Amino acid sequence: MPLKIKTDEIKVIIKYIHEISGISLDHSKAYLLETRLGHFLNEGDCSSYLDLYQKAKSDKKLEGKIIDAISTNETLFFRDKGPFDLLRNKIIPELIDARSAKIRGNIPIPIRIWSAACSTGQELYSIAILLKELLLDVKKYNLKLLGTDISDTAVSQASYGKFNKFEIERGLAKDKLAKFFSPDGVNWKIKDEIRVMANFKKFNLMFPFNGLGKFDIIFCRNVAIYFSLEDRKKIFNNISNALEKDGSLIIGSSEALTGICPKFEPKRHLNSIFYQLKQ
Amino acid sequence: MTDLKILVVEDDPVTLLLIKKKIISTDYEVETATNGEEAVNLISGNYYDVVLTDLMMPGDIDGIGVLEATKKLCSQTEVILITAYASVDNAVEAMQKGASDYIQKPINFDELLLRLDKIRGLKALIKDAVDLREAMDVTEKNAGHTIQDLELEISHLQKRISEIKKVLSMEDRDHPKRINIALAMLSAIENNLS
Ligand SMILES: C[S@@+](CC[C@H](N)C(=O)[O-])C[C@H]1O[C@@H](n2cnc3c(N)ncnc32)[C@H](O)[C@@H]1O
Repeated sequence: MPLKIKTDEIKVIIKYIHEISGISLDHSKAYLLETRLGHFLNEGDCSSYLDLYQKAKSDKKLEGKIIDAISTNETLFFRDKGPFDLLRNKIIPELIDARSAKIRGNIPIPIRIWSAACSTGQELYSIAILLKELLLDVKKYNLKLLGTDISDTAVSQASYGKFNKFEIERGLAKDKLAKFFSPDGVNWKIKDEIRVMANFKKFNLMFPFNGLGKFDIIFCRNVAIYFSLEDRKKIFNNISNALEKDGSLIIGSSEALTGICPKFEPKRHLNSIFYQLKQ
Repeated sequence: MTDLKILVVEDDPVTLLLIKKKIISTDYEVETATNGEEAVNLISGNYYDVVLTDLMMPGDIDGIGVLEATKKLCSQTEVILITAYASVDNAVEAMQKGASDYIQKPINFDELLLRLDKIRGLKALIKDAVDLREAMDVTEKNAGHTIQDLELEISHLQKRISEIKKVLSMEDRDHPKRINIALAMLSAIENNLS
């Protein structure tokens, strides 16, 4: 049984978690803090949640572990399907048309895509697999695929490109598994041809977006749902500045931007919607 | 509670009978095979929650063969291996290939039943998780459609509002005219919504 958290501790811990990750927890969810943080009290030498907080403030590693324990990394290959049909049938072809019209000579066409909370990499690898199948000769393009996440563990798993059978069974068709993964014991590893297309790094969406550059397509799915309205406004405003004028933003299937960022306009294609900047 | 359907694969008839009797005394359902070929045949035609197989068996397909075939045919099936002596290396190899457990001969039946109960508990948990995920998927899909429709509708209405505002502030028309145009536009929106 994890140690019970006291009311005044709840306040401190929730505020701290918000500071380090943006994740906004409900004060009524004491049980969530206990089940997700309780083990730190048993294994470390913390005598209370307050003590844990004091230690974590000066211990980056512990801070990272707390973020890992609190955040939900739930993800799957080709999640929701719709956005990937959208990429294949509309966004990528139109982007290539628009970019190639501007380019002279034999310069590879640049396509920059960002998975802004990539978790263990399934989202970005799904995009890479889709591009590989759609573009045939990827060398004709200057692809920059970036996956970022606040969690060290998630980013290193993504980087390593190794998935267990449960992760593989979710969302990945058999033909794609055979084509783009090789067995590695009881696990599966993404093949190098896909791995080299993607880059992963740690990034906290609550920080300023310096040095990331601009993107043609941004996936920011199922992460802002954990943030307060204020923080969502801030993040989607930053995202609007990181998106090319004719770029596209894809958010989670049950998320919305009404009342969050007036710069975006929703557009429908087939059964999905995506967002572009109002002209 | 989910009950388990178990296939026991063992070339020694006495051991096979003993295991079968012991497992039947619980609520679990048991089928048997006396060699690897027979086992693989059964597995390709039937679903088993657990395959309990001897590691060393005569014939072309031994315990590892049964394990590999099972994992290929049905990855949800758990495989427990029975090893003749403390051949830990073989057991480790088997675990790497996806076996969930191994037990040593002579079989301690209490231990075997305990392992089976553990698998049953695990299966029940997995089923719960799958059910929950399914329920969440359905809810999310429904909510997603509604939210996306509303999102488009709001964006559409925002555009209409701007148009009406523009009409109402047209300096070159008199007031009644502006109001009439605006009213017509509002009626169109109203009809569209209902
Ligand atoms: C539910 S996953 C979503 C993964 C993927 N985008 C998808 O939709 O399948 C949420 C991810 O957001 C990450 N996250 C939480 N707070 C973050 C922050 N402030 N900055 C960046 N990533 C964050 C978590 O570590 C987690 O991996």
